[in-house]
Amino acid sequence: MEDYGSSDDDYRYSDQEESDCELYENNDQNFELLSSTAQVITEESLLAAQKEDLRRVMDMLSVRQHHARTLLIYHRWDVDHLFEVYVEKGKAYMFSQAGVSVDEYRDSNSLVSASVMCEICMDDIPSDEATRVDCGHCFCNSCWTQHFIVKINEGQSKRIRCMAHKCNSICDEAVVRTLLGRKHPDMAEKYERFLLESYIEDNKRVKWCPSTPHCGNAIRVEGDKLCEVECSCGDQFCFNCLSEAHSPCSCLMWELWEKKCRDESETVNWITVHTKTCPKCHKPVEKNGGCNLVSCICGQAFCWLCGGATGREHTWSSIAGHSCGRYKEQEKTAERAKRDLYRYMHYHNRYKAHTDSFKLESKLKDSIRGRISISEETKSSELSDYSWVHNGLSRLFRSRRVLSYSYAFAFYMFGDELFKEEMSEAEREIKQNLFEDQQQQFESNVEKLSKMLEEPFDTFEYDKVMEIRMQIIDLTTLIDGLCKKMYECIENDLLGSINLGTIHSIAPYRSKGIEKASELQVCWSNKANNTGKSTINSIAPYIDCSTSVVIAVTQHIFYDHVGFLIYKLICLVNIVVC
Amino acid sequence: MIDFSRVQKELVECRKDAAGSGIQVSPKSDNLVNLIGTIPGPTGTPYEGGVFQIEITIPDGYPFEPPKMKFTTKVWHPNISSQSGAICLDILKDQWSPALTLKTALLSVQALLSAPQPDDPQDAVVAQQYLKDYQTFVNTARYWTESFAKTSSRGVEDKVQKFVEMGFPEAQVRSILEAVGGDENLALERLL
Repeated sequence: MEDYGSSDDDYRYSDQEESDCELYENNDQNFELLSSTAQVITEESLLAAQKEDLRRVMDMLSVRQHHARTLLIYHRWDVDHLFEVYVEKGKAYMFSQAGVSVDEYRDSNSLVSASVMCEICMDDIPSDEATRVDCGHCFCNSCWTQHFIVKINEGQSKRIRCMAHKCNSICDEAVVRTLLGRKHPDMAEKYERFLLESYIEDNKRVKWCPSTPHCGNAIRVEGDKLCEVECSCGDQFCFNCLSEAHSPCSCLMWELWEKKCRDESETVNWITVHTKTCPKCHKPVEKNGGCNLVSCICGQAFCWLCGGATGREHTWSSIAGHSCGRYKEQEKTAERAKRDLYRYMHYHNRYKAHTDSFKLESKLKDSIRGRISISEETKSSELSDYSWVHNGLSRLFRSRRVLSYSYAFAFYMFGDELFKEEMSEAEREIKQNLFEDQQQQFESNVEKLSKMLEEPFDTFEYDKVMEIRMQIIDLTTLIDGLCKKMYECIENDLLGSINLGTIHSIAPYRSKGIEKASELQVCWSNKANNTGKSTINSIAPYIDCSTSVVIAVTQHIFYDHVGFLIYKLICLVNIVVC
Repeated sequence: MIDFSRVQKELVECRKDAAGSGIQVSPKSDNLVNLIGTIPGPTGTPYEGGVFQIEITIPDGYPFEPPKMKFTTKVWHPNISSQSGAICLDILKDQWSPALTLKTALLSVQALLSAPQPDDPQDAVVAQQYLKDYQTFVNTARYWTESFAKTSSRGVEDKVQKFVEMGFPEAQVRSILEAVGGDENLALERLL
């Protein structure tokens, strides 16, 4: 425990937490290398976010924007995956797979007659009322328009194929836009919106914020998708499953737990365990004491042991004319249900207690704010910094949440539902003890902090305040450390040893709380320029190249597999240069 | 919104080479929404010699949406429901292209008759039989063709009548005739 004691360094770190954001971000890189960076995409920045990826593909493959979009939609906006396919399978394969035709039919077909026969409406129409698309198929404008409308209404805006039979080619967006724009501006708008939103809907790295009412934002994460984020609207959620932030529960555990808490199954369980149905009026009856002859409010007497109707004559040990000593299988299931119910109640009560404390402590925030302002008035300049109270308070809130979720976690970790086959009884017991020790230590310190924060420090003398301040600072740091340790225990010793893939992975611990997603920079190229400077310097030969030269170079390199890494580097530069 | 001029043109086009393809499309009543298509059973298949009727409904979005088709003649085929006549064919669903026509669609249905795809069945019972007991499948399909797809199914009725007069129960006669593909001698052997 002393390890987490009051070293001044620790204090400074936690002190800066909320007061100095800039500095904090720098610290962040040192402290939490694993963390992913999340960004908020608003309605306004959606276009810019999309352009960023489009530009990368356009530059690398020297294709036009709509081809880049078609490719990206097909590959679910995973630029790296797209490039891998390119390197491994080649351009022709990738294009035909995604439905991109880059052959220029328009030029080759210069001998256009005055009229063409549209194979859809089977009419002869003047050739200026027909449109030829990238794949070379030509139909009349009104047929194209109808086709687009039908496809958009079918929800296929993102991949409208050519009308020709067995033609896999995706229609040029410019054609769709122009033809629809003439007579159906509403459809054109719809089409435009679907294309834009594809960046969110079809993208693994981007998800809509789950807030209700919806704030209109989406969140994009770089790196690990298993994380918890806070949208700029204030909603905190698990990026992986979009429910509330629930670590150290895994997404599956949380889903089960929520359902269990919501379900009436536990109530039903309680009824089976504690009541019997009256043989006459069939209402559930709870026994509140006395012997085994029970009488229902309807007047019917029955035997509590078997539930059968009896007469009222009885002694302490027997009911007249009634015996039911025979064993029944049902009794066994009732026992089991009883045990399960107690187990669930144990964990649920503690889960609930911490959630309730969290709610009560939210009020503490206001009272502490009041105390600070009183102190500021009465206790002049000697104590101007109150960040220790704020830090302590936010640590308390975070810890309460973690604590409550840790009980839901324990319910599944050490129960039969998920891991019965994965651990032996003995193993489970060892693990449970290990976890419970950590949890207990964490819990008791959280309670201590809670009590400490309730102290009316505004009424205390200077020395007393300083003492409390020191204690709160110590506790804050200590709790952070303990919480981290508990996460480590869960990740390494508990979940780590279970070989079930990644379904039970949990979002990593962040000592500063759930990451707030930053606003996406709209002028992304400038930002890239700034942050990418060191990269430019490190591969000097390419700095002065124009974009087109870089592309030429990369296309050479593409043919061998070794070149992939080099090309990735260049790819980075490429964005920087343009 | 229906493009009747195109449907009209298709009908004319179809009539022109009806002799060649054997495929006919004609209006069911006085409108062009409900049509009747007829395809001859492909030669070399159990459907040979039969003439199959298909009910065609033209949707509002035609030709940008596929026409709805189902058999009104009973058919024993893995990809056609023996109960409802529903057809399981990709070009009548997501693979439809406005460049296809009623005639090409009917040709595809005809092609489906010659090349069943039991792995993607519409009628699981038929598909099971096709995979496990091909000969019975062929017999049943032929019997169904004989019974339902010939302009006159008098032949079958006559046979049934004959056996009933011999004193066999009608239901049994029908099921055995179906099982042996309409062969009177085989049926008699089984009945005895």
